[in-house]
Amino acid sequence: MNRLQIPIESTTLANGLKVVIAPETSAPVVTVGVYYKIGFRLEPRGRSGFAHLFEHMMFQGSANAPKMQHIKLINSSGGVLNGSTHYDVTNYFEAVPSNALERVLWLEADRMRSLKVDDENLRNQRDVVKEEVRVNVMNQPYGGFPWLDLPPIAFRNWANAHNFYGDFADLDAADLADVQAFCKTYYVPNNAVLLILGDVRPDEGIALANKYLDDIPAGAPPPFADPSEPGQTEERRGQVEEKFGTLPAMAIGYRLPPRRTTEWYAMALLDQALHGGRAGRVYRELVLEKQIAVEADGGIDDIFGYNGPTQMVTRILHKPEYSSEQTLTEFDSVIRKVRDAGISDDELEHLKVKWRSDYFSTLEGGRGGMPRYGLMHLLACFTLFDNQPGLVNTILDGFMAAKRDAIHAVAQKYLRPENRAVVFRLPVRPAVAGPPVSAGAKEAA
Amino acid sequence: MATRAAEVLNAVPALSAERPVTWPKRTKARLANGLEVVLAESHAIPKFHGELFFRSGNAAGIGRGPGLAEITASVVRTGTQNRTSRQIEETLRELGADLATSAGADNSAISFAGLSELGEPLLALVNELARDATFPDPEFERERRQKLEEVKLDRTQPGFLASERLRKVLFGAHPYAQVAPTEEQVAAYKRDDLLSVYREFYTPENALLVLVGDFATKAMLGTIEKAFGAWSGKKFVSEAAPAPPNPRGRRVYLVHVPGAVQTQLLAGCHAITRKHPDWIKLGLTNSLYGGAFNSRLVMNIREDKGYTYSPRSSVNPLRQHGYFSVSAAVRNDVVAASLTEIFYELDKLRALPVPEPELADARNYLSGVFSLGLATQEGLLSQLATVALNELPDDYLETYRDKVRALTPDDLLAMARKYLDSPNMQIVVVGDRTQIESQAALFGGLEVYDAHGARLA
Repeated sequence: MNRLQIPIESTTLANGLKVVIAPETSAPVVTVGVYYKIGFRLEPRGRSGFAHLFEHMMFQGSANAPKMQHIKLINSSGGVLNGSTHYDVTNYFEAVPSNALERVLWLEADRMRSLKVDDENLRNQRDVVKEEVRVNVMNQPYGGFPWLDLPPIAFRNWANAHNFYGDFADLDAADLADVQAFCKTYYVPNNAVLLILGDVRPDEGIALANKYLDDIPAGAPPPFADPSEPGQTEERRGQVEEKFGTLPAMAIGYRLPPRRTTEWYAMALLDQALHGGRAGRVYRELVLEKQIAVEADGGIDDIFGYNGPTQMVTRILHKPEYSSEQTLTEFDSVIRKVRDAGISDDELEHLKVKWRSDYFSTLEGGRGGMPRYGLMHLLACFTLFDNQPGLVNTILDGFMAAKRDAIHAVAQKYLRPENRAVVFRLPVRPAVAGPPVSAGAKEAA
Repeated sequence: MATRAAEVLNAVPALSAERPVTWPKRTKARLANGLEVVLAESHAIPKFHGELFFRSGNAAGIGRGPGLAEITASVVRTGTQNRTSRQIEETLRELGADLATSAGADNSAISFAGLSELGEPLLALVNELARDATFPDPEFERERRQKLEEVKLDRTQPGFLASERLRKVLFGAHPYAQVAPTEEQVAAYKRDDLLSVYREFYTPENALLVLVGDFATKAMLGTIEKAFGAWSGKKFVSEAAPAPPNPRGRRVYLVHVPGAVQTQLLAGCHAITRKHPDWIKLGLTNSLYGGAFNSRLVMNIREDKGYTYSPRSSVNPLRQHGYFSVSAAVRNDVVAASLTEIFYELDKLRALPVPEPELADARNYLSGVFSLGLATQEGLLSQLATVALNELPDDYLETYRDKVRALTPDDLLAMARKYLDSPNMQIVVVGDRTQIESQAALFGGLEVYDAHGARLA
């Protein structure tokens, strides 16, 4: 079996900032990431959407690089940049030709040390974020389905159950004092990891990290609210209106076992059996064979990137001639089969091959023209959650060791109604029998 | 604030000396059956990516039915002489592989990725799909019903409605005008039409195979010969449709979506193909206008005004024609204000030479991201495919950055005047007419449509 051994060097600076270097010098490009261990799960109450709004503010200027300078300096160095907010981390990343490495570290240091924003910046980005929410959620068919729809039904702890993109009233209520407090609490070097991947020598990378980031003062250890969920004793259901789409939809989410346990590895292979593309049982049964669903996909989203309660989610859009209950019954028969019989030895072997192949792609994978985004993401999460960046080279073993019995056992233990939530997303304008096409045909020429 | 600016300039670390780029070695080959092959090694992960292109797509099949190449591609993976649909999918999983079949206006394609150690069986399966697909009746029926639901769903998406209308306006009677079939057209598909498209398009003389990944080139050439050597078939020749007239004067096309809480703007005009000598110059002009985060359009309507989240402009190449477009999803009450800024920035680029420092930044950006794009297997594959499908020169990768760096303010002024055709831009707005009609009408003669393409009074 082919393995992949990624060279990694890591250290911790005096101020608590963790540094991880992964050299690979075949091309003169370098990827830099800074991850802060705070995401939308633990943003302040009454300030839904704030972690994401704050992410936008990190591009609005710092003491020595005022508004627009950060973006301009990266682009004009031949690089790209972005940031994203997740459940438990928020990241900022750049991919640049390696001759711009010092400049990137200087910029990341400047905004970690001295974010400098004003009311006008905040107003501007609040407007931008609202348009982001409109374009991705409010003005899109099935917008936010199911990632925003399911948590309030599935979870009881506000941390896991609130609107992560933010209620507009909460976004409007956020002020500069909130920005400063959040920054001071969570955006401190001792709550972050710096990653440098690609065309860099480990000693050089660590020396540059020291040169630019070592003198940023540490903060108090950040407080983290308890994200744990109370036990669940019965199935939870809810309903959301679909304003534009005409097909009924539903999503079913099962809570997952704790990270990096034998059960979790087994659950990941079970997920592959259910949701592994067109060979996955859910797609095969509902779309290809019974032909009830138009779309049926899902799984454990970003399996390495969360650090609190989460779910394996199936997302189904189905033909209007089937009722929600009929469709759910057919989905349940897929689940019943795997609970009753588990999976075969052959199936497990094939799932493992696919898992290994997918893992390699995750590591190499780009995002928006960024090489090694996936490797960066995994190194960051393994550092912040486990303090073990080297897991990137060993975690595959846990999945490869998963046994049939264990998979059968997690199917029986976790794929139960009392461990799941279901949301129905129902069209306000359901599909009509005769499509109004004649007018369109007349006009086509 | 002059002292402040000087401080900033002093503090920013200078760029160090550039490290030379080692351009990936490419190997080109042609099998006896006419199949063109391009290979490049890339060893970062023990996998490879591939794409088998056929140089005919929906435009070439439009006489028999819009979208026919696309539905043909969907059904290709559902059965061969040796395997059922289910066996195909399970074989792919067993090989650790991903595979997708698709068709656009100009090409059809089977794209795939898999483990290097299982390369031979994956290539054999790809050949089986390209040569021995059987188009089983029940699979065709299922895919057609899926497609019907898909085209209905498309009509609820503002982005789709905008591009559908713009393509109609820009390309008129040309096949490029139709981006998706109607429900009636899908209902009229016949299995025999798919079979004839398959026989004519999916031939080695019509194909290009690009592979990038962790393999030894010489051994891979042997594997390719073994997998594809026995396949045969002639090149498909289709007649080019007459050039569409270039619309003159600004007009506005409003697609009415009741209850929309935002407006999708999309404006465009005719431009050029990928092979045109102005391509790189226009690429840089676009990058400076609205193709990068640090571009004038993004800085204006996002970072300064907060009208939108993701404004952008792009140069869209098709084989016979191309077009330039600008898009933004904006707040309903700033439709007119956003269009005003979009045209202000276009007109400014057409009137005034770009200051040299700004141009230098844009040149650096474009040549830098070009190198970044080659650093993954998929990115390299996409560049190699672009070069081969458009018959660009062999030294295209090596010379691209020098060509970008040689461009001057005069070049950009000329490009903007020639192709950023502000006076003749066709404007599409998708939103709730009760909120945006009067704003849209400020920019030209207005036509209103519903989501199904029917003209409204």
